[in-house]
Amino acid sequence: MNNRRLFMKNGLLAIVGIASLANGAKSEAAPKAQKWGMIIDLNRCTGCQACVIACKAQNKTAPDRFNTKVLSLEDGHYPESRIIFTPIQCNHCEDPRCVPACPLEATFKLPNGIVVTDWDKCESYGACVPACPYGARFLDERHGNKVDKCDFCLNRLEQGLLPACVESCEANARLFGDMDAPVGEFAEYLRRKELTVRKPELKIKTSVRYVRSRKGKKGGSL
Amino acid sequence: MKKDIFDIMQAGAALTRRSILKGAAAGMALLVLGVEKAKAAAKWLSPRQVQKSAATTMDKDVKVVHSVCLSCNARCGVRAVVENGKLVKQSGNPYHPYNSRFQPIAYSTPVKETLALPSPVCGKSQGAPNNTYNPYRILKPLKRSGARGSGKFEPIEWEQLIKEIAQGGKHFAHLGEDRVIPGIKDMDSDALIDPGAPELGPVRNGFVFIGGRDQNARKEFSDRFVKEALGSVNRVGHTDICGIGFRMGTWAFTEKKEVEIKADPLSAEYILLFGANIYEALQHGINTYGAIVGNRSSREKVKFTIIDPRATNASGHAESWIPIKPCQDGAFAMGMIRWIVENDRHNKEFLTAPNPKVAAKRGHACYSNATHLVIVDDKHKNNRKFLRVSDLDPAAPADDGKAYVVLSKDGKALAFDKTEDAALAVETFVKDASGKEIKVKSSFSLMREGVMEHSVKAYAKLAGVEAAQIERVAREFTSHGTRAAVTQYHGAGNYLSGTYAAYAIAMLNAMIGNLDRKGGYMKSSGGAGAWNEGLYDLKNFAGKRKPQGVMMSREKSAYEKSTEFKKKGYPSKRPWFPFSKGGLCVETLSGIDQQYPYPCKILFTYFFNPVYSIPGGYRYKETLQSFEKVPLHVSIDIAINESNIFADYIVPDVTYPEGHYGFLTPHAPTLKFTGVRTPTIEPLTGRTADGRPFCEETFLIDLARAAGLPGFGENAIKGKNGKTSPLTSGEDFYLRGIANLASAVKAPQASAEEVAFVEKNYPVARFKGLLPADEWKQVCYVLARGGVFDKTYDDVFDGEKHKFGLKWVVLYNEELATTRNSITGEFFPGTLKYVAPMTPTGTDIEKADKEYPFTLISHKMNLHTQSRTVLHDWSLEVFPENFIVVNEKDAKKLGLDSGAKVRLVSRSNPKGVTGKLQVSELVRPGCLGVSFHYGHTQLGASRLPIIKAEEVFLGGRSVADKGGLIPNPRHGTGINPNDLSRLDESFANTPMIDPVGGIPDFSSTRVRIESA
Repeated sequence: MNNRRLFMKNGLLAIVGIASLANGAKSEAAPKAQKWGMIIDLNRCTGCQACVIACKAQNKTAPDRFNTKVLSLEDGHYPESRIIFTPIQCNHCEDPRCVPACPLEATFKLPNGIVVTDWDKCESYGACVPACPYGARFLDERHGNKVDKCDFCLNRLEQGLLPACVESCEANARLFGDMDAPVGEFAEYLRRKELTVRKPELKIKTSVRYVRSRKGKKGGSL
Repeated sequence: MKKDIFDIMQAGAALTRRSILKGAAAGMALLVLGVEKAKAAAKWLSPRQVQKSAATTMDKDVKVVHSVCLSCNARCGVRAVVENGKLVKQSGNPYHPYNSRFQPIAYSTPVKETLALPSPVCGKSQGAPNNTYNPYRILKPLKRSGARGSGKFEPIEWEQLIKEIAQGGKHFAHLGEDRVIPGIKDMDSDALIDPGAPELGPVRNGFVFIGGRDQNARKEFSDRFVKEALGSVNRVGHTDICGIGFRMGTWAFTEKKEVEIKADPLSAEYILLFGANIYEALQHGINTYGAIVGNRSSREKVKFTIIDPRATNASGHAESWIPIKPCQDGAFAMGMIRWIVENDRHNKEFLTAPNPKVAAKRGHACYSNATHLVIVDDKHKNNRKFLRVSDLDPAAPADDGKAYVVLSKDGKALAFDKTEDAALAVETFVKDASGKEIKVKSSFSLMREGVMEHSVKAYAKLAGVEAAQIERVAREFTSHGTRAAVTQYHGAGNYLSGTYAAYAIAMLNAMIGNLDRKGGYMKSSGGAGAWNEGLYDLKNFAGKRKPQGVMMSREKSAYEKSTEFKKKGYPSKRPWFPFSKGGLCVETLSGIDQQYPYPCKILFTYFFNPVYSIPGGYRYKETLQSFEKVPLHVSIDIAINESNIFADYIVPDVTYPEGHYGFLTPHAPTLKFTGVRTPTIEPLTGRTADGRPFCEETFLIDLARAAGLPGFGENAIKGKNGKTSPLTSGEDFYLRGIANLASAVKAPQASAEEVAFVEKNYPVARFKGLLPADEWKQVCYVLARGGVFDKTYDDVFDGEKHKFGLKWVVLYNEELATTRNSITGEFFPGTLKYVAPMTPTGTDIEKADKEYPFTLISHKMNLHTQSRTVLHDWSLEVFPENFIVVNEKDAKKLGLDSGAKVRLVSRSNPKGVTGKLQVSELVRPGCLGVSFHYGHTQLGASRLPIIKAEEVFLGGRSVADKGGLIPNPRHGTGINPNDLSRLDESFANTPMIDPVGGIPDFSSTRVRIESA
């Protein structure tokens, strides 16, 4: 109940905040940039695909192209077999390999940790696409093969809204927050020792982390 | 609620306290990005600007509407964002418990405070714009302009549509069809269909209306036309294909009070799933039930076991998956009950309570008839019925005489309500007043007898599992007190003899006494209040008829009362279903095909695609093709599908965001609310001369008025104040329904701000003039929140006890026990009994179709509903096709790999269906799993010779050329398992059904894999 009240109180604040921004409130009012991060708990993911559709609906990615996907993995042998789901997307790496791959500096990392692509600069070389070890980037044929990928719904964050995939995740498998000032369940998760990343063998530091499946022998499609 | 967003907001608030003085600007610090970002943003062009990301609740000049989804029947709330009149995004409604894992924000929260709150909803709901704006939607009335099924249609004017259907006549003479089509006027007669069989009713019953995805409000609106204005008994739903199998078990278990009971997902410690695909389908939807179970299981608050031939998507989180043989869920449950009783793990404190008062003293809101005595004496006139006080003492006063009888611990026969305790297992003789002995057994003993007919080992063999698995699950199930329960769904009884499988599964709950308890087996708490009475009487009108006679499906009628029975006795030509829950669209269509018990004259289908959606529905192509069997077929729908391609007229309808109103009450278990669906955008269909949209309501209103039926038009609705109002548009009916609901729940009057919110955003606000100002303000309070959600989860409990529960359940069902199979003339068992899956004439399909080695099983997918989601482009992007999923061992034997093209053939479809194989370890060997939703031939999958197609379809020239409709090959991918379903040769080769409930069979069809 406390949480509910707090939620409401702050919900109100958020709205007022947006209104003031629209009215051209002074930028001093804003704090320093957050460092956005996401944790995905595979023990919660039901594979429902709501995040995939939410992203489609919000970001209008090219047909058959996705900023986020849910991989399914058959784990174990019949009859001890089960299916484990792993949502994947751009990991917003600390030191993204896609950035140096672009000769035009069209892709770069914002101070808030989000890796973005500048479509004014992108000339569809596509060098960043294979440079990404996670296959998170793709060409948008509708727009001259410029490169697209997840941007944590920057446009929604600016409005005080969660990324579309996080909003749509009813089981709360996707947790989102400020890695520099984590609180609550996100902070609890961030402290967990078992947090891992996709392709840990690459030893890349990322802003998207995972809790492996406890029940799956392979832990997920990581 | 989303804990993570509290945290973000809390962090934001803390930061602001440091950085700024006061007030409104504090919110700046929340999720809004910092200065650096703002500067960076100015420098670069985001792909979202180019792609134009969908508008959000925070954007200026958008409309936000809270409503209820109808992408499936789960009834989740939605929040629509509408930009320039177009639905651009749909998420959940934060007031609605189904979008918040049962814990929504407080109902009193002002709407403006909620607009930034996250609120999830599933992928198919978010795909609603795909459906609404699908280019294959029809906008104009269509009339057949070629042979039935040819796909030749032409657009006609609304007035012509109404006139022709109301009046009847030689409307297809220009096609060389020299026959008189019956009109609605011809059905408006009290003459008997057959004076020799008056029980069949008046000719009115020749009008048959079958609804597919019908829900409250539109259902009542259809009833007003069909049953109350025209007076036909035949307004039938589609409960049978929706999943009447498991519902029949509940129906028997609750003496026809309830159809759905489930484990309480929020408080159960252990849930046993039978045929319940909780992460992909179910009611509630996946963003409710599955999400609660998934989230709680991650925190180790609940564990669950899956009993299913297929490892569902929930298998990843399940304690274990037990791959059961299809159609044998009952055997597994019976084995569990045997083990529980033999190991003395049943809850005797619950079961021995002979009446509700004693049960309440023992802390239970529910009691059972376990101790009630049943007469088991062939010669007694009340054989198979409960022993009543009047059987012992005919002089007892009428009320006392009706009382059930139990045996006290010291062996005395007593009225059930006059004792504190009773013997559970009883098999004895009692003496009546004349000293004659009557043989009796307790319900518990009769149930146990049924259970003891087979050993646990034998049940395990039938179920295709190990006895140890049954024992292990039974031990687990009985290890959590009353905080364990079953959730059974479609897969648990959707087959021949499914009633007895589902009854046994439901009975497991009685064994542990978890009924009506927190964390146990619970029903829904019902709606918040009545909507069709109160301020405005939406139930009655001058000239309202009471339909009479037997339904085409023979549901709820006894064969023994028919003239046919008096003439020739058993068997009946087709089964009758006196005990069924009803909603039998399959037997309605088979009845139409066989003109039994009488011929159909006019068929209306609403939002219904039987040829696609019914197992073996392909059989009805010839029914719908026949002028003799279906002289007139009118379809009300949004597109041309596999069934209405045979129609004579198609009336364009709106999709739910444009105009399906609804009052949506909770599914089991637990909650109490009424969600209110109103349009979120204006209708896209054409309009009548006076500006009303083409849709079901406008059609039925205009048709009723043209045919001179009562209940529509001027003075049709009577108010409490004695004033009457006209019924000339859907809103005349539904908006008054919302006013009734708001008044019934004493909703507060909305603030000026919230009234303004509704009037700015909600299309229904155009009709506010229909209501007095004070009623409108109350209505605004409800509309702004998308319904009435004023009761929390905790509010429905009194401690552990459910306040709105079942109250009682039965181990022996007297009505079922005294109902006969109309084919064999034998009584149905009144309690648990292992009944092998068999057709009404006793054919065991597994034996009969031995040369077909695989059993075909089907399921729904998380991004689909049934037939109509082929219109959801995003769903097709994620899942472009479906597969025939085969176990690895079977694939090895056949030498086939994933991706192999194969043909499946069945006895009833020797030509077969071609699909792609997917090798997996997630399906039981001997079974082939195929999802629904694919294998369409219509809904945009085929070219159709529609005249003026560019005017007919929403997509205009993008889907039309000189030849008519241009198909999209994506709509035709994959296979439809229903195209292979086994038909019943004993009944004119129509789809197989079970004789108790009329359950269509989804799990018995056997197939062979051949090379394609």
